[in-house]
Amino acid sequence: MQLPAQQVAVLEAASADEATSVDALAAATDLPPETVTGAAFELEEDGLVAVAERVDETVALTEEGREYATDGLPEVRLYETALEAGADADPVSMGQVIGASGLEGAQVDIALSNYARKGYGTIDSGEITADPDADPAADAEANALESLAADGVLEGSEDVLDQLERRGLVEITESTVREVTLTDQGVTELMAGVETAETVGEVTPELLTSGEWEDVEFAEYNVEADAETVEGGRIHVLREMSERVKDVLVGMGFEEMDGPHADADFWINDCLFMPQDHPARTHWDRFALEQPTHIDELPEDLVERVERAHREGVGDDGEGYHSPWDEDFARALALRGHTTSLSTRYLSGTEIGEIEPPARYFSVEKAYRNDTLDATHLLEFYQIEGWVMAEDLSVRDLMGTFEEFYAQFGIEDIQFKPHYNPYTEPSFELFGTHPTTGELIEIGNSGIFREEMLEPLGVDCDVMAWGLALERLAMLTTGAEDIRDLHGTLADLEFLRNAEVTY
Amino acid sequence: MPTVDIDPDELRELTGHEEKDDDELVDDLFGLGLEFEGWTEDDEFELEFAPDRLDRLSVEGVARSMRYQYGDARGVHVPSTNSAEWTIEVDESVPDERPYVTGAVIRDVNLDEDALDSLIQLQEKLHATMGRKRAKGAIGIHDLTMLKGGSATEGDSTIQYVGVEPEEDRFVPLDSDAEMTPADVLEDHQTGQTYADLVSGYERYPAIYDDIGLFSFPPVINGRRTEVSTDSRDLFVEMTGTDQWTIDKMLNIVCYALTARGATLEDVTVEYPDSESASADSNGSRTQSGGRDLVRPDLSTKTKTVSHDRIETILGIDLDPDEVIDLAERSGLDAEKVEDEGESEREESITPLEQRDGLEERSSADGSSGPRENDEAAPVGDLVYEVTIPPYRVDVLHPLDVIDDLGRAYGFNDLEPTYPDVGTVGGRHERSRLERAVRTQLVGLGFEDLLNFHMTNEEVNYERVDVEPDAGVYGAGEPATIKEPYSEDYTILRTWCLPSLLMVLENNTHRAYPQHLSEVGFAAEVDETENTGVAEGRHVGAVLASHDAGYEDAKARLQALARDFDVDLETPATDHPTFISGRAANVVIDGETVGVVGEIHPKVLVEHDLEVPVAAFEFDLEALR
Repeated sequence: MQLPAQQVAVLEAASADEATSVDALAAATDLPPETVTGAAFELEEDGLVAVAERVDETVALTEEGREYATDGLPEVRLYETALEAGADADPVSMGQVIGASGLEGAQVDIALSNYARKGYGTIDSGEITADPDADPAADAEANALESLAADGVLEGSEDVLDQLERRGLVEITESTVREVTLTDQGVTELMAGVETAETVGEVTPELLTSGEWEDVEFAEYNVEADAETVEGGRIHVLREMSERVKDVLVGMGFEEMDGPHADADFWINDCLFMPQDHPARTHWDRFALEQPTHIDELPEDLVERVERAHREGVGDDGEGYHSPWDEDFARALALRGHTTSLSTRYLSGTEIGEIEPPARYFSVEKAYRNDTLDATHLLEFYQIEGWVMAEDLSVRDLMGTFEEFYAQFGIEDIQFKPHYNPYTEPSFELFGTHPTTGELIEIGNSGIFREEMLEPLGVDCDVMAWGLALERLAMLTTGAEDIRDLHGTLADLEFLRNAEVTY
Repeated sequence: MPTVDIDPDELRELTGHEEKDDDELVDDLFGLGLEFEGWTEDDEFELEFAPDRLDRLSVEGVARSMRYQYGDARGVHVPSTNSAEWTIEVDESVPDERPYVTGAVIRDVNLDEDALDSLIQLQEKLHATMGRKRAKGAIGIHDLTMLKGGSATEGDSTIQYVGVEPEEDRFVPLDSDAEMTPADVLEDHQTGQTYADLVSGYERYPAIYDDIGLFSFPPVINGRRTEVSTDSRDLFVEMTGTDQWTIDKMLNIVCYALTARGATLEDVTVEYPDSESASADSNGSRTQSGGRDLVRPDLSTKTKTVSHDRIETILGIDLDPDEVIDLAERSGLDAEKVEDEGESEREESITPLEQRDGLEERSSADGSSGPRENDEAAPVGDLVYEVTIPPYRVDVLHPLDVIDDLGRAYGFNDLEPTYPDVGTVGGRHERSRLERAVRTQLVGLGFEDLLNFHMTNEEVNYERVDVEPDAGVYGAGEPATIKEPYSEDYTILRTWCLPSLLMVLENNTHRAYPQHLSEVGFAAEVDETENTGVAEGRHVGAVLASHDAGYEDAKARLQALARDFDVDLETPATDHPTFISGRAANVVIDGETVGVVGEIHPKVLVEHDLEVPVAAFEFDLEALR
């Protein structure tokens, strides 16, 4: 493992067998004791050492104490002078003895007050006697002072110490002593090898400009812990899907179309060879506009050709619909029920001029259906619309194009169910296998545009087309269960924030 | 899509394939484009059908298609008819709105319960589809023995199709015991009420009489006297409508269904009066009503000329002429090879869209670059077929429809997909690229991109953000309105995005803040100078909701966008009721006022149950172009 240098030093200096004091460790590691203490505690947090604590008393001589240790205690000096003066036989004048002893000032009182207490003799009426049996060498206080001065070790009883402290000769201080012992885990880690890591908390401008960064290690973080939740900006999940679809189609050579959402039924339905009495054109499917009501202008000659196709069909033995056709109905405005209105506008040459084959066009734009609003249906949804124009196109080309497209989204094994659309023939519903559930699901509608549609638009080659709802593709690939979470003002920000990114 | 209920036992009986189990039948039906939706309460298949093959709306028609599919039947079959004994005389009093009638007599019908149920379902499904809910065509089926024909013409029996005053006559309608006038029926009878709208504008009501009296009030209800039951042996079928072709085809489908159960057909003569009503309609005249008398049912076939080359082009495979004929017969069609008509004749072949570029050029290119599997198609490139279409088919308008049939018989799913070998250059249009770029910048500025509905209502768009429609402030233009909205929530197209964004904030007050939301989205307003009358545009809208959101936050991001797209931004103070006075400004880009920025007014915040300040901006996407 890696540890900061101080911790490594302490760990290595500590012993598993006996407790080592911080001071001892400091001495051993050549680190200040406080550094050692800090390191010891951090090591203890990691379970590598145990730190034991006790409070120690330290005894030190005061200045006075040191003086007496050198010169002798005043009462001892008084006794020794008294002995020389022969006070062991007869009382001697105190003044004479004090003068001879060299004691001065406060020392005289100290000597006198302790002389009798310690049994060196008596002091009475200005005269002093010395007890011949007294032994200054056995003076516990003097001995204690002496030994403290000599090697710092106190000899003597608690009482002596108290006496010395009372006399102001020693000072007793308490200190906390910490002792460090390696734990089993510490031993294990040491044996496994511990490396030095020097750390600092933050990268600061000073650190960088001073060059100090070269010598430091950065404090380790708990990199596994969850960080604060951040809601960054992000593209809407359905928009991502749309971008993905556009990428794929552009890559396949398709150019994008653009056009009105509110459009004449002429472009939405009549140009698609949808009979005017087709059930899908009745009010309950369609969002007709109340205001404004009708388109201003339609290309007159095109209207004429479209009407003729509806009434009479195209070609020598073509037939039209046996349905009424009314230009006023064709001019009525509605929200487009499919984006095929863009295709009819482009194919007619009114948007970007005549389009020459080969050409591929697409759009991923909104369509509107007055149908139902529930978990899988919206009143407005994005329709993917694409068509290919070329001189000769077969249903095999159509199949190949769609297989290529859907394979980009992981949908393989496309099946083509023959189908009916008023505007395509042959027509196919496209079925594919759901990438996760394996279920066979409808994924689009396709076909080759009918000649009754193309001839009035002035197109004299083949055009194949297909469409599907973007939301359907998104639900397939994102697993969303309620389409309204994705799209619209009921959108749940939590859902959008947690949605997987599409790419 | 519409559905039809089919009894699998009857299907086995009518196809003669008793050995097929239910699963096999379901598979075979899928091959016909009839998708199994589930079982009905009466243990029948509920099948979804595409509304082209209306001849498959009953078990008899489905069985016929399956017999072709199984190879048990081939080619076109037209039942014979006995000559007419009955005449429908059309009176001049018939309402102009519903001038057409057709009919047939069907004898020796064996109507057991199943057959009767099937007939009733067929009638209902035809009403719902071709009949356009009886408006275009309505079917009446009567027990012939209950009709008394009289002798308008010697030896013949006659009924009359007439127009009557609403209160002119009385009859006992189905499901009733009382004599009622047509007006009473519309008023009091349940079926009458359902279909009253169809005739509500008529001065005279359609009515059919025999010698005894009024027995049918089309398209509303039949009389009880002629009600068909399982005891009925001979039937009189009449149909009235707004288009002769439509009712004639509906009649054919009914006739085919009944002959499949062993009945025989007998013609009916339809006599139109010598007035304009019969010949005025071009459709009518094309179905031979140009003359005074029509003989019905019209079981004549028609033909389509289909070129061999076009078949191969569309299907993308090479076919032998015998194969084409075989595929046609397996589709219930007849195909006859017509010899090479030569260069000049080919101009009239059925591929007029392709002639100009020359067939030679195409067929020579096909072998190498087209989807052809080999190039041996050339020798039969000039071949055409005369394909006969049976009288029950209503969906064959063009030779292309025949090719679709051939493809189905061949099996579309047996075709090998190919990728079309034509090169084109893809690309996105400018607005699409600009939208993407702006969204990318917004996301970089910390916005969550949203996607809201374009439809909304006036309350959301105006009232709840405290603006008046067409008030002359940004966002409050005149809305395009929807005639028959789905619900009162979606009555107009939105004129701006901020109301939608505020609603998203409102619906997400329980979610973590800050909520910085943006939308580059559609907005529209009425504009008479536009061809469609609607000016459609994209707006860039954004809201910043957090405990300390303020004007500067919105302005800062607006500035960032302006810098990103290299446009000049100014924000002169303005008054806008959605925003706090003194904290709102116009967004002026390159000298033009294109939007608004500010702090949302507390009144609007409280209206949306918001407890944090919201700063916002919205402007026209075009301004960044």
